[in-house]
Amino acid sequence: MIKTEDLRTDVSNALKYIKKHKDVIDAEVFASWNDLITIRLNYTSDIPCNGVYEPKSIQSYGLGILATFKKGNRIEVGFGSVTNDLTKEGVLDALMKAKRNKVYDPDFKTLPDPIDKPSLKNYHDNNVMKISGEDTVDLGWKALDGALKALNNKGHKKSIIIGGDVTILRERMAIKTTKGIDDFDETTSLTANITAMIENKNVKGTGWSMGTHLATFKPEAAGREAAESAMRTIGGKKIRSGKHNVIFGNQPLTDIASNVLIPSLDLSSVNASNTPFLGMLGQEIASRNLNIYDDGSIKGETGTKRITCEGVPTGRTDLVKNGTLIGFLADNYFARKFKSNLYNPIPRNGFRYSTNGRDYKNKAGISPTNVVIGGNKETTRDNLFKQADNGVYIGRIWYTYAINGLSMGDFTSTIIADSFSIKDGKISSPLKPNTIRINTNIKHILNNIIGITKKKRSTLVWGSGEVVIAPEIAVRNVQLDNIAGFLG
Amino acid sequence: MQPHIEILDKLKAHVFKTLSAHYQSLDNCKYADLRLGISEFKSASSENGQSKDVTDDYDASFGIRVIAGEMSSWGFYGQSLGRNDFKNKEITNLIITAINTAYERAMANAKKKSAFKKKADSLTGVRLAKIKVCQDTVPADFEIDPRKIPLQKVLKTSINVSRQMKELDPSVLYAATGIKTGITRELFCSSEGANIDQSLPLTQGVVYVSAQKGESSPEVCYDYIGDLKGWEIIEGKNCYDQSFLDFALERTKETIELSGAEFLKTSKGEVVVVTDPHFNTLLVHEIVGHPTESDRILKMETAYAGRSWLYKSSDENQLGNRIASPLVNAFSDPTVMGYGYYKYDAEGTPARRIDVIKNGILKTFLNGRENAATLGHEPNGSMRATTSAMVPIVRMTNTAFGPGKKNPKSIIKEVKNGYYIVSHRIPSISESRENFRISAKKVYKIENGKLVKLYRGGGIMANSKDFLMSVDAVGNDFKMFPIPNCGKGQPMQIMRVGNGGPTIRGKARLAGC
Repeated sequence: MIKTEDLRTDVSNALKYIKKHKDVIDAEVFASWNDLITIRLNYTSDIPCNGVYEPKSIQSYGLGILATFKKGNRIEVGFGSVTNDLTKEGVLDALMKAKRNKVYDPDFKTLPDPIDKPSLKNYHDNNVMKISGEDTVDLGWKALDGALKALNNKGHKKSIIIGGDVTILRERMAIKTTKGIDDFDETTSLTANITAMIENKNVKGTGWSMGTHLATFKPEAAGREAAESAMRTIGGKKIRSGKHNVIFGNQPLTDIASNVLIPSLDLSSVNASNTPFLGMLGQEIASRNLNIYDDGSIKGETGTKRITCEGVPTGRTDLVKNGTLIGFLADNYFARKFKSNLYNPIPRNGFRYSTNGRDYKNKAGISPTNVVIGGNKETTRDNLFKQADNGVYIGRIWYTYAINGLSMGDFTSTIIADSFSIKDGKISSPLKPNTIRINTNIKHILNNIIGITKKKRSTLVWGSGEVVIAPEIAVRNVQLDNIAGFLG
Repeated sequence: MQPHIEILDKLKAHVFKTLSAHYQSLDNCKYADLRLGISEFKSASSENGQSKDVTDDYDASFGIRVIAGEMSSWGFYGQSLGRNDFKNKEITNLIITAINTAYERAMANAKKKSAFKKKADSLTGVRLAKIKVCQDTVPADFEIDPRKIPLQKVLKTSINVSRQMKELDPSVLYAATGIKTGITRELFCSSEGANIDQSLPLTQGVVYVSAQKGESSPEVCYDYIGDLKGWEIIEGKNCYDQSFLDFALERTKETIELSGAEFLKTSKGEVVVVTDPHFNTLLVHEIVGHPTESDRILKMETAYAGRSWLYKSSDENQLGNRIASPLVNAFSDPTVMGYGYYKYDAEGTPARRIDVIKNGILKTFLNGRENAATLGHEPNGSMRATTSAMVPIVRMTNTAFGPGKKNPKSIIKEVKNGYYIVSHRIPSISESRENFRISAKKVYKIENGKLVKLYRGGGIMANSKDFLMSVDAVGNDFKMFPIPNCGKGQPMQIMRVGNGGPTIRGKARLAGC
C-alpha cells in the first residue's frame, strides 16, 4: 500500500524534473494507488456451491503525465504513464512516452486552471484502508447469512439461489500541475449488492447496502432485504400488453439513468452527435416537475470524491432544472471545446476510472459521480401510488439499452423482480418475473411524469460507476409487452 | 527502454520454479496457478480528419489463483506490473507476496465455509475436473508484424480514414476512427505442472459515424473490423475482404442513406424475417452463446448476467432436447480463426471444438474445470480473462450458427411478404435469455422476393425458442465476425469473442421506434 504523502512528494518531484525540459510548455502529473476487493457470492441450495465464491482483488499504482509541447506555432499534447515506479527514472520514462505519443489536436486548448477550494476533508475510513483478508471474506459470509436466515425462517430451504457481491474500493491519488493545481484525495467505498431467488416459486429479490465507512456498512441487511423482497413477490401474475401507468422504483430508475439518460447528458455525446438532446440546451425536455444534477461532493455517498482526477474540486452540475436542459457533464477537454458566450461548463466530472478506480494509466474522460433526481413538487410514496391509480410498480429491471442508439432515445428492458400490479392506488398482486418487456423512449418518460417521491435511495447498478440518488417516479402510458409465454 | 514480449523468455523458467516451490511450502494448499501477461501495442484515434490520440506502450499484469483449506476454497490476487518488475528478484517477491495473499483469502474462506456448512449443506469444497497437463509454446501468427508498423503510420491511417468519411457528404456530422495493433504474450503455469507460453496478435479498426438529414434524429453507426492477426487486417485481409478505408466509407454511405430513410414501425404480430450473417452474429451471441455458458447454467450469474432457460436443474433441463428447428446447428470453436481463437484457455485446457446445437438438439455447455466437475462433463476449455490480473470466467470462443445448404438469394426470393434484417446493432435480452430484442442497422421490406423499401430504427423481438423453432431456411454463406466488447463478470470484464453464422429465415415480431 502506497501512502498518500508519498504520492504527493512523488508528483511534486516529478513536476520539478519535467520543468527542466525546455520543450514542455505545461504538464500535469497524476499518481494513484488503487485496490479493488471483490467478495463474490454464489449459494445454490440444490447445486454444490462455494457460498462465498472467490475473494479477489486487483491492485495497481503508478504515475501518468499529460504534457503540452511546442512545435512551431502549434501546441502538441501527449500522455505517458509508468507502473510501479515513482522514481526519477520512472518519471522520465513517462515523459518520454508523452513526447512519443504527442499529437496536434485543435480541440485541446490547455490544462485545467485552479478554480476553487474543495469542500470535503477526511471523508474516507482508515478502517477500510487497513481491513484484513479474513475480515473482507467475513463481510461476504455476513451478506449470505442475512439472506439465508431470512429465507430459512420462513421455511424456504430448497430451490434457493443467493448471488451478488461485497465490493471494497480503496483509492489514493495526488496531482500537481504547472497551472498551479496541487492536491490529493483518499476515498473508501463499500457496496453490497445481493440477489436472492426462490427458483421454484419463480421469484427474485434485490437488496443493497452502500457506504464509505465500515461501521455503518451492513451487508447482512442487504442479504435480508433481498430475501424478503423475493418472498413478497411469490404468486406473481402476468399482465396484458399495452400502455400502462408505471411507477419506476429506485433500481429501475437508476438503471434507466445509468444506461440511457446520463450518457445522453454528457458533452462527449454532444461531441459525437449521439444524444437525443442535441441542440436542445435551454429547451424544455421534461416535465417541469423534474430536476437532475450531478454532485461529487455529497458527504457519505460512494460516488463522492474531494477533487476530480484533473484536480478540480467536485461540486454540483445542474443538468435539468424545472424540466429545462441547462447543462451537460464535462471534463476540462470538452468544457473548453464547448465554452461559448452563452455556455460555460465547469469541468467537475473529469475522471480516469478503470476497473479498479482512479487509474494513472488513463487520460481523464467524463464520468458521473452522484446523480440526484428530484422534483419541485415531491410527494409521499402513498400519494404516488394514488396518482398512478392503476398500473404497474416496477422494482427491478435488467439489460436496459438504448436499442436504436442514444441519439434516438428508444430503450428496452425486461422486468425481472420486485414488481407488482397497482390497483386503485395500492399495491395489488405481485408481477410474474421475466414476463414483461418495456419498450419505450427516454423522451416519453421525461415528458409524462405523474409524480416523484421525496424519499430517495442511493442506488448502483451492475457495470456502472456512478451512484444515482433515486426517488420513485410515476410515468403515464409506458408500453409494456408480454414475453416468453413458453416458460409458463 | 520499455519491455518487449521477449522479456518473458528469460523469466519463463524462473516464474514456473517460483510458483512450484512456494506452493509446496504452504500447508493445505491444494492448487495454484499463475498467469503473467504482457502486451505491446500501438493505437491511434482521430475525429473528422483531426488527430486525437496516439499510444505506443505496453501493459503487463499477473494473477494468482489458489485453492486451499480443509474445505477447499478459492483465493485470488492480481496486480499490474511495471518495467522494473521484470527482474528475477522483483518478480519473485511479487509472486510470493501474491500467492500468500491469495492463500490467506482461500484459507479464511475455507474456515468460514466449514463453519457455515451446518446450516447450508450444499456447500462443498472446490473440485477441478482433470485435464491433460500441457507444456507448450504458441508463437504469434501474423503476416505483417504489428510491432514493425510505425506509430505515425497508424495515426496517418486513422486520420485519412476519418477525413474521407467526414468529407463524403455534408450530412455527416461526425466521423471518428480508432486503430489498435499489437501482440499479447501470456505465461500460464500451475502446481500440476502446466507450463504454457502463448502469444496472440490483435489488430482492430473501429469506425463511428453520425449523419443527419433535416430535423430527424441523427443516424449513428458504430462498427469494427478485426482479428487475431497483424497489420494485414487493416490492409484488407479480414472478414469483410475490405481495407479499413473501404470498410469505413461503406459504413458511412450506409449511414447517410439511412439518415433519410423512414422509421420502422413495430408490428402487431410475427412476420417472416430473413436475417443476414452479420445480424446473426449478435443473435447467436445472445441466444445461443450466453445461455450455454456453464456459469449461467449453474446459476452463478443470477445477480449479474442472468441464468439460462436451458437448465432448471439436473433433472429438468434441455440437454438432449429439441430447442430449434432441425436445420439449426451451432458450435463453439476456439481452434479456428476469429476473435475467440486460442490454443489453450486461461486454465491451460487445450482448446477444442464443441457442437452446442446439432440438428436442433441441445448437446452441451461451454465450461471450465470447476463447472465441468460440478456438471460431470468433460472440460472443453472455455475460460478466459480480459487481463492476467483478472479471474478467468466462462466465455464464448468462436461461437456461431453452422452453415446450411441454401443459396441466400433464394432464401429471400422465396419470401412473398417479409423483411430482410441486415447487420446487428444493439441487443437487449431477458434474464434467462428466453426472449430477445435486437436492433438492426437496416431493415428492408421484401415483396414477392424483392427488396422494395429501406427502413431505419428497427429490429426484431421474439422468444428465443420460438424463433429457433421457426427457422425454415439456412444459407450456405457462413461468416465469422468479431465482437470486441462482450461484458460479463464482477468486476466487469470486457472480452473479445468471435460470432457468426449464415443467412437464416424465421419468424419474429418487428421492433420499431
